[in-house]
Amino acid sequence: MSSKATDRIVVLQGTLDLIILRTLQTMGAQHAYAIATRLQQISGDLLHLNQGTLYPALVRLEQQGRIKGTWATTESNREAKFYSITRAGEKALVEETLRWRRMSGLVDKLLSEGA
Amino acid sequence: MRRFLARFANLFRGRGAEREMSREIRSHLALIEEDFERRGLPPEAAQSAARRAYGGVELAKELHREARSFAWIEHLIKDVRYGGRNLLRTPGFTAVAVIALALGIGANTAIFSVVNAVLLRPLAYKDAGRLVTILHYGTGPVATANYIDWRGQSRSFEAMGAADYWAANLTNGDVPEHLLGLKVTQNLLPMLGVRPLMGRLFAPGEDRKGSDHEAILSYPLWQRRFDRDPNVLGKPIVLNGEAYTVVGVMPPGFKFAPFWATHAELWVPDAFGDTIHDRDSNHLRVFARLKRGVTLAQARADMATITGRLEKQYPATNRNIVVRPLKENVVGNIETPLLMLLGAVGFVLLIACANVAHMLLARTSDRQKEMALRVALGASRTRVIAQMLTENLLLAGIGALAGLLLALLGTKALIALSPAYIPRVEMVAIDGRVVFFLLGITVLTAAVFGLMPAMRAAAGNPSDALKEGGRGDSDSKHRNRLRNFLVASEFALAFMLLIGAGLMIRSFFALESVDPGFNPHNVLSMVVSVAGTKEAEPHRRAIFYRELLQKVRSLPGVNSAGAINHLPLAGDTWGLSFSIEGRPKPRPGDEPVAVYRIVMPGYFETMRLPLRRGRTITGQDDARVPDVVIINQRAANQFWPGENPIGKRITFDEDKGSASDWVTIIGVVKNAKQETWAAEPDPEVYLPALQSRNFLGEDKGPIAAHMMYITLVVRAYGKASDVASAVKQMVWSFDRNLPISDVLTMDRVVSDATAEPRFEMLLLSMFAAVALLLAAVGIYGVMSYSVSRRTREIGIRISLGASRAEVLRMVVRQGMIQALAGTAAGVAGALLLSQLMAKMLYGVRPTDPVTFGAVATVLGLAALLAACVPARKATRIEPMIALRNE
Repeated sequence: MSSKATDRIVVLQGTLDLIILRTLQTMGAQHAYAIATRLQQISGDLLHLNQGTLYPALVRLEQQGRIKGTWATTESNREAKFYSITRAGEKALVEETLRWRRMSGLVDKLLSEGA
Repeated sequence: MRRFLARFANLFRGRGAEREMSREIRSHLALIEEDFERRGLPPEAAQSAARRAYGGVELAKELHREARSFAWIEHLIKDVRYGGRNLLRTPGFTAVAVIALALGIGANTAIFSVVNAVLLRPLAYKDAGRLVTILHYGTGPVATANYIDWRGQSRSFEAMGAADYWAANLTNGDVPEHLLGLKVTQNLLPMLGVRPLMGRLFAPGEDRKGSDHEAILSYPLWQRRFDRDPNVLGKPIVLNGEAYTVVGVMPPGFKFAPFWATHAELWVPDAFGDTIHDRDSNHLRVFARLKRGVTLAQARADMATITGRLEKQYPATNRNIVVRPLKENVVGNIETPLLMLLGAVGFVLLIACANVAHMLLARTSDRQKEMALRVALGASRTRVIAQMLTENLLLAGIGALAGLLLALLGTKALIALSPAYIPRVEMVAIDGRVVFFLLGITVLTAAVFGLMPAMRAAAGNPSDALKEGGRGDSDSKHRNRLRNFLVASEFALAFMLLIGAGLMIRSFFALESVDPGFNPHNVLSMVVSVAGTKEAEPHRRAIFYRELLQKVRSLPGVNSAGAINHLPLAGDTWGLSFSIEGRPKPRPGDEPVAVYRIVMPGYFETMRLPLRRGRTITGQDDARVPDVVIINQRAANQFWPGENPIGKRITFDEDKGSASDWVTIIGVVKNAKQETWAAEPDPEVYLPALQSRNFLGEDKGPIAAHMMYITLVVRAYGKASDVASAVKQMVWSFDRNLPISDVLTMDRVVSDATAEPRFEMLLLSMFAAVALLLAAVGIYGVMSYSVSRRTREIGIRISLGASRAEVLRMVVRQGMIQALAGTAAGVAGALLLSQLMAKMLYGVRPTDPVTFGAVATVLGLAALLAACVPARKATRIEPMIALRNE
């Protein structure tokens, strides 16, 4: 039981980075809440994640220099940290997208063959 | 790299990052809340809904922190958790592996802690590497005049000093005590570079006659006899009836000399006196400190030149003088056995590793699919290997913890069990170096048993593994070979260990059956010292010795009693050269030499040392009649081969204390053990105490100072220890000031003499037993695994008509092939390794065919037994069930 849950998170974390980068690329600078809301919308609530679990990915991406966070105020005049994609992030997004397509293709193939 | 730096910076910016994180979480919550309020929730409900939507704040913080810190820590924690879960999922495997590793690691740590204390740590003197001894054959004493010449002529040494045995009776206080002390030259203690706890060391000039009555106390003596009196300095104490002034107290733990007279408790200056021109009587131990930059070889060459010159000048002196590092003398005898034990436990650990490795291999093939899936899902091979290694490290770590516990108990037991002969054993402790060793072997162990299976698991094409669909019968050939190799090496290692243990056991029993020459049962011995008491006076000593023995003989429970100066096996051994009447005088240095002992009437009868020829020594053999002597069989055979030695006369070159120069041989006794148990007895002579002016104190020669005590031997009708207190009371009824020491049964003396081989045999046997067990478990594990993998194949064979007996034979044969291959390799290894033990063996050759045969049989039986259990299981396979299972 518990090991399955772990596996799902492992998979998710690899892809979460990719999704965040893509979101920021299409929508421009966003704060964490907005990113989370967007993810939920896109996945049609299939991907119900605790919003706190976004942070490791954000921290990681920021440390890798793929995104950059700055404090600013929202439309409703609240302060929030807005993340935007960097040039390195754009580059990484291209590479990671390719990698992901290859990998998912392989897994797809394997799974259909095994059946 | 950038991320690394960012994280690195975060290590220092911990609090700033923490604040930033809280701020972000706060803002996030506020944003959600706002959203909910916009949708029409009341503020309070919005707040709690926001929290729910957000998930655990603390969890988020934790995740945040994890991400901020180093990736490998993150991975490590994950891997450790994952590995821990895996280990818990197979408790049987984990328990067996942990026990095997704990045994291996624990035994290694325990033995290493002994090796560390005894062999590796430097001696507790300043710059001890430059301290050397200059002695006859490396360990024997030298004469005063020679020492004085060396000191004057050598150029390699910063300082050269000497020490001499000195037994002293301390008569301060209530109970008189016989103390072991040393007379030392003034420069000796300063040379060691150890500062006294209080007071001072001897000053120049204090080793001159007239100003030599100062004493330096050891810490234990100061504690025991002077209640740690801080004002002890300058106080007079009475040693051997003379007043000495205490000038210093040494720090706790200070010991000198470290390899001989190790229990010395006080030091006084040595003024040499009359011995200053003596080149023949060897009694000084010489120590020196090499000059900075002078090598041992240079010092040896320097000494060789000097002794060569002196030998020409004074023939038959200065021969066989060896310069040797002090440490070598301290640990020289124990080095080989300790290293052998370390090697033995190393083998045990290797066997444990091999065991765990093939258990892991078996597990790995079961987990092949899991690994393949992980690789397919994007985990890199290094990550998979790292994950498995973490799991292995975790296993080794648990094993190491259990092993440490075992080692702590083990070292305690070792110290308690260890015979007195191991020097510095009191220093055994788990120190930094031992912990480092423990960590080192743990990591190494994990690498040895884990790397191969891990690489095996991560290798191979993931899609192949997935396609195989997890059917277990296509175990790869390669892995089988590896597993067989592991089992075979276990057997080879176990074989070598068992040979080592077997040889030690055989050697020990050969030693046990050695005849000491005398009958030690029911005999009690004790040393009574007369130094400094009124019994020491010349005219009283003979009377005291005679009357004491008479009174002791009349005690109830006492069968007989006698006395000797130095008890065989426990006491000192003196050698004396002599000349035989009517034979040409041999060249100097080639004179016959014999072990020299002085006995009171009744000694031979009490020890049951049988007389072979002639008559024994009686009370009539005293100063009023011509001097006589008894020799041992060895002396008779060597010096009077084919002749009857009775009536022959000899004269001792040094013992000028005899009334007349010539002594007549009156009897020959059986050979008795002398200094060491395993050695063949040398020629020996026994002189009557009542004819020895030295022994009776009527002569004040240099030897007389070493004859201030007597060793009583008392044969009881019952248990020897039962008469001890009666004999002591009898001694004290003469004089309450007479110190009694070394109260020992002869049985104890004999068992102490074989304590070292017994200790080594016990340890080695223990390790070999563990090795045998591990090897058997190994072959059992592999065979049962193989049977379970081959269930279907065996089922098919049975359904095709193979008989149960055939199946049994097949499985057993498979196991025995590995055992045989291992044994063959073990024989080769053992033949090589046992040569190293040759020096430690007694009465058995390193290639002893009995031992080799017995060990091969034992191992073969163990393998057969271990293979039979799974083989019987295989014969019970029901073909229908086996096939349906697939």
